[in-house]
Amino acid sequence: MLEKILLLLSLSLSVAEGLCKPGVGEAYKVRFSIKTALGDQAYPWNKNEMFLFRAALAFAMRDFTNGEEFGVSDIHPCNETQRVSFWFVVTRPKTMDLVDKGTVEMAIKKSRNRINGAFLLTDKTLEFDGIYPTLAAPVSPDTPPWLIVFGVVMGAVSVGIIALLVYPLVQRKLKKNMDADDEDSDEETGVKTAENGANDGIYNSTFSDDERFTQM
Amino acid sequence: LLAPPSLQSQRAYKPGYTQDRVMEKDGRPNWDSPMQFVLACVSYAVGLGNVWRFPYLCQLHGGGGFLIPYLIMLLLEGLPLFYMELAIGQKMRLGSIGAWTSISPYLGGLGLASVVTSVYLCLYYNVINAWSFWYLFHSFQSVLPWAVCPINSNRTGPTEECEVATPTQYFFYRETLNISSSIEENGGIHTGQALCLVLAWAITYLFIVRGVKSTGKVVYFTATFPYLVLFIYLIRGVTLHGAINGLKYMFTPKMAELANPRAWINAATQIFFSLGLGFGSLIAFASYNQHNNNFQNQAIVVSLINSGTSIFASIVTFAIYGFKATLNYENCLDRMRLLLLNTFDLAEDAISMDSVLEWTEKLNTTYPEQFAQIADKVREGECNLEKELDTAVEGTGLAFIVYSEAIKNMPLPQLWSVLYFFMLLLLGMGSMLGNVTAIITPLRDFKIMSRMSNELFSGLVCVFCLLLGLGFTTTSGNYWFTIFNDYAATFSLLFIVLIEVIAVSYIYGIKRFEKDIEDMLGHRPNWYWKIMWAVTSPLLLIGLFIFYIINYIQGGTPTYQAWNKELVSSAFNIPDV
Repeated sequence: MLEKILLLLSLSLSVAEGLCKPGVGEAYKVRFSIKTALGDQAYPWNKNEMFLFRAALAFAMRDFTNGEEFGVSDIHPCNETQRVSFWFVVTRPKTMDLVDKGTVEMAIKKSRNRINGAFLLTDKTLEFDGIYPTLAAPVSPDTPPWLIVFGVVMGAVSVGIIALLVYPLVQRKLKKNMDADDEDSDEETGVKTAENGANDGIYNSTFSDDERFTQM
Repeated sequence: LLAPPSLQSQRAYKPGYTQDRVMEKDGRPNWDSPMQFVLACVSYAVGLGNVWRFPYLCQLHGGGGFLIPYLIMLLLEGLPLFYMELAIGQKMRLGSIGAWTSISPYLGGLGLASVVTSVYLCLYYNVINAWSFWYLFHSFQSVLPWAVCPINSNRTGPTEECEVATPTQYFFYRETLNISSSIEENGGIHTGQALCLVLAWAITYLFIVRGVKSTGKVVYFTATFPYLVLFIYLIRGVTLHGAINGLKYMFTPKMAELANPRAWINAATQIFFSLGLGFGSLIAFASYNQHNNNFQNQAIVVSLINSGTSIFASIVTFAIYGFKATLNYENCLDRMRLLLLNTFDLAEDAISMDSVLEWTEKLNTTYPEQFAQIADKVREGECNLEKELDTAVEGTGLAFIVYSEAIKNMPLPQLWSVLYFFMLLLLGMGSMLGNVTAIITPLRDFKIMSRMSNELFSGLVCVFCLLLGLGFTTTSGNYWFTIFNDYAATFSLLFIVLIEVIAVSYIYGIKRFEKDIEDMLGHRPNWYWKIMWAVTSPLLLIGLFIFYIINYIQGGTPTYQAWNKELVSSAFNIPDV
């Protein structure tokens, strides 16, 4: 009995190994770039990491198919290289039927972030050949930020222009009021300062020639 | 700095020079100090051309060796003509129309030509300032918008147009200009651009509304701040990785280029346009001087500062070039490395950046069939540092595409972006001050116009130029811009200045001119100046003029490069006509 089970298992395993052929059928190629992503903190690739991959993919299949009991043994890798890249196929639990490429692709797309996270990698460093990552939707704010800065600068410039245009008018008004107040005190001394009268040619009686006539 | 008007005439009064008192009474506004005049000239002359044209010429004509024709032309042509324009302005105390009419009533048209050329210039020059504002405002984001491509509607990757070009080119041609495929196709006005243009004219009005009183204060800032930014960029630039490649490229002189007549012609035209001769701005600025202002020293100082700034700016530009070229080269090597790793499934650390080339050879010999599959890609993506450095760019392409590409790769790019575009704005605004003054001053000398208030007249000029300038913010606007940039001022200026120097040397007469200068400065100009005015400069200008005519005739129908949405090429250069 035990031998029969063992024989069946080894047969199924060899069949599964036969199922995974690079570039043919429902196989996908996956590529890890651990050293590029993590540099000094890179972990070495070994059988444990491979197990993690198979577990993660089994999770992705379960998640997509809503509970079909995929297990680690349903993910079959082959042709592992030093690059850390390999091919894999997925088979249905209990039967040995291959899962078609489309289903596998959608399952991976759905759980891409979780698979990336398990390996501390990103869409760029954990590549599935032929499956393109869905990029995050661009964040568009209500008011584009440049409009805000523009508004501030435009406002400041407008205030400046208005100030420059209005200031001399205001000054002239103030001056007129001041002149109305000062006229009384100024008339007694009869002297006008240069600022007020430089252009008017004020006749300064101190230096007049009237003496000639009054000496009679 | 705020001297009341009455004190100014007293300061200028010198015993024995009773003429001064009479002069000041014509009510013409004055600069508060000679320093303001010098800074105004520096602000006007040092403009965008120093940043984006001179480095290109340097690169085109053999790096450091180009300085020789450049400096020789400065002595033969730049200095004497600059001096002459300042002398005319200071002596006649009128704008360009009035000044030339005083020399001879038949020469009034010369001044009018200057005014018309200045109008053309004002129309399109402020559009560059609008672009600088656009980029400046867009720098206040966490990710610079020209650093990454926008994502397409399927969210599978970047937009196709952006993928074929680079993100910086896409941002300039699609998002900033929204450019159409040809000059005939016209869409609407780009609202963002139009807003920035309004802002540019509003600021110009703010600076000139009070005439030289306001302009004089503003130039303290617009003339000096760009140097601060250039200095900061110099330090940042030379400490960037790979900058040394660009600097080496610039400073290794290729003396063979000196035999090329094009180098000398380009040096002559560069000096000529860089100093802003012929627009009437220098005459206008000088007309607000005191009668005995020592413009001889000032002319020498401003010309030297202008040339010095060009050289300074090209050091910065070449450091940036070197950084960008090295970055592109290393990215190219990295792409090659990945391609090899992925095709041959080698371990990640098998090939390092330095060993890419030798591995390419090795793999080619050991696995020829497999290599043949990617042979095309390898040939296409061949990495060459010299080729990267050789891509000489000038004009708006340099300022808005190459520089912004370098900036996005620097650490803390927002800060560098803001600094850089603010500097471009100051350079552009400083030149605009001179351009608008060149229009307003001669027109205000006419009795009809002087009845209108200063502010109203300046406002009308600004609004007029703004409305016409909106044409450059349409989707085909950049093509019109290129037409104006290449043809509006170049040819006419040569003609204007040629007539100017002939008029002064032969119609007015060198002897009378000498006496006027002696009257203003106290001594006659020495033989160098006289020979330049009478002989060398006119001959040089005639030579340039003939060269330009031959060029136009030989060039046939002028062509322009258009941005075709479907077949965007990655090496887009503004054509050098």
